[in-house]
Amino acid sequence: MSAIRPGSAPPVGGAFDLVDHDGRPVTHETFRGAYALVFFGFTHCRVVCPRALGRLSTVLGLLGPDAARMQPLYITVDPERDHPAVMKAFLARWPGFLGLTGSRERIEAAKAAFHVFARRRDDPEDPDGYAVPHTAITYVLDPEGVCVDHFTDALSADEVAERLRALIARNHRLNASEAGE
Amino acid sequence: MKTSDGETRASALERRRKSAVAGLDAKQLAYLRHFDNLSRRQRNDWSFMTGRTPNQMDFGGYRFQLAYAAYALALTHVHRLPAAPGALRPTFQRLVAKILEPEVWMYWRDSSRAGGIWNPHLAGRPEQWDPVAHDNIMYSAYVQSMALMYNVLFDDARYAAPGALTLEYFTPFWGDGGKPGGLDRKFEYDQFSLNENLYWQMVRSGYLGIACEPNCVFQICNQPAIIGFRMHDLLTGGSTADEVSRGFRQAWEQFGGPVASNGHLYLYAASDTRTPIPNAGEMPWGDAWYASLANTWNGEFVEKYYASVIGKHVLEGPDGTRTIRPPKSRTFGARPIENDTCDFGWLTVWASEMGDAVTLEGLQRHAERHMRPTLYEGGRFFPRHDQVSDAEGNYTCVEPLAGNVLFAYASLNVPHGLRQLYEQPWAPGHFAEPNLAIVGDAIEVHRAYYDDARATLHFTAGVREDRPGDSVVRLANIWDRGRWELQRDGQVVATGDGQQVHEGRRVEARRTEHLLDLHLVRNELSTYTLSWPGGGV
Repeated sequence: MSAIRPGSAPPVGGAFDLVDHDGRPVTHETFRGAYALVFFGFTHCRVVCPRALGRLSTVLGLLGPDAARMQPLYITVDPERDHPAVMKAFLARWPGFLGLTGSRERIEAAKAAFHVFARRRDDPEDPDGYAVPHTAITYVLDPEGVCVDHFTDALSADEVAERLRALIARNHRLNASEAGE
Repeated sequence: MKTSDGETRASALERRRKSAVAGLDAKQLAYLRHFDNLSRRQRNDWSFMTGRTPNQMDFGGYRFQLAYAAYALALTHVHRLPAAPGALRPTFQRLVAKILEPEVWMYWRDSSRAGGIWNPHLAGRPEQWDPVAHDNIMYSAYVQSMALMYNVLFDDARYAAPGALTLEYFTPFWGDGGKPGGLDRKFEYDQFSLNENLYWQMVRSGYLGIACEPNCVFQICNQPAIIGFRMHDLLTGGSTADEVSRGFRQAWEQFGGPVASNGHLYLYAASDTRTPIPNAGEMPWGDAWYASLANTWNGEFVEKYYASVIGKHVLEGPDGTRTIRPPKSRTFGARPIENDTCDFGWLTVWASEMGDAVTLEGLQRHAERHMRPTLYEGGRFFPRHDQVSDAEGNYTCVEPLAGNVLFAYASLNVPHGLRQLYEQPWAPGHFAEPNLAIVGDAIEVHRAYYDDARATLHFTAGVREDRPGDSVVRLANIWDRGRWELQRDGQVVATGDGQQVHEGRRVEARRTEHLLDLHLVRNELSTYTLSWPGGGV
């Protein structure tokens, strides 16, 4: 059929201005040159985040050498609790992930830029009495900082790895074409 | 392969073939004619379509009539007239054009301000003009799903062009001033930009859904959006509908699922507090409308749910008829509410979708007896009637949506018809088959299907004397298939080969570019077969 509009990318801004889990200021510009895998969550998350982070770790393993071109980012939706040190300790289970946090306003701005849903709600099973259900989508920013794809948690690690390989190959072809190779 | 209701692909196709061979009966044709008549009304002529509530506020809104007429056309095309896109395409296009008219969506300027009975705490929001940008899924999803469905069914990407879905309101008489004065609001979308917009609104809500009135996420009003996402996926190969429907199911699981403790579907959820609001009045439309559409992606649930509640809504009447209880009178505070419920109509549609012939035929029999079916300009409909019951207590209420569209929809549908459209709208190669690509305005097509095994296009058509317009049917995918023979009512009337017409007897047949034009004779209903003895390849 003749209906597919080529080159349509997700209308996601991809901008943020936060601090990483070592306390260093970072923005989306910081990660230019790499593919940023952006996932939003919170460290008290019992199911969704551990599953997603585990799956992304598997994806990085499947990518082999291409994994070096990826920078996985984990942005909190719970800045009241997720201070840099908390995030660093939490992410120790998933090497290579960088946790990002910031003021409530800056987290809200990042959520808006990525169309992320997250809303605090009471949770008697949590020691602090609340949880923050959130959208479980992984966004991909290309080396230019443009959001070029997103994956829901319904996709398997194999499917995500395949999509990322295709992205890298497509980008490589484009760069080669522009360079006249 | 099995469809989600456990039916094999082969048996689903066989069922579809049987309904295509049967074609349309006189009532069904007249229902289609009424859709066509409505679609041809001049701009801002909403004759027969106005409901009792002003300003397009509720179920009497034109948007619903236009959208479900389009869905009914889609079901007719897929299940009953698969080889006659030309008989349905122009009407579908006109319905899309009409739903873009300001009269259909201008209510949003006021509804977007909130502060109503559902959301008094949000009073005083600035008015919004763009009716598809945020919320208002009760409008935007219909535009989205109609445009994408059209592309899927007719292989025509006209609504994919930038600005193809433009919404504009202009008045010189009031507005923002400026030069030359007045007010002009223009919002340009296409099927993809609109689809993306709805998708990201879904994501941002955590898949709970997109609101109708601000903050009010109705379960039903998000079903057309899911159908639209599925149409998008059929075009692009993605899996948006699967993602959204899974997320939607999970989001409502936080309330224990879509059904409240009273055994009926939740009507809506407040998106700020994420509080579900039950269908406290046990209004039949609240169950039947959602479930008729959700049978597409949530069929297992809907089948069980139908069995559990249909008996609460439908009553047995005399002579095999079925009817419903009059709705309980409701108030907003002390003020009585008058609005269109469409209970009877939606239950009829639901019974048709579930393949419950006893209930469907019973409701139809009651409607024929007590709801005054009417023929006007060759079209069949049930005129609006606000009185709930007659002197004998028979249910008589007919809303414009029910009378113009829903009864017709139920008649034109087949068991699990919408679900089949969602799961497998066309077999591969469909668009390469011989078909009635363009049908003159004066022609009425009763039947049209292509029998691949016998390489034969069957169609029955006639020319209506009461209808102006040309009487030419233009057939596509005829050439480069070898020698063919056209019979009319069993007599050979034309022959040809892969490139041209050899002989036309008693019929004017002519090749025009890539089409074969047949000039049908007025006042004549005939059955045609166009066959390729060599197999048509």
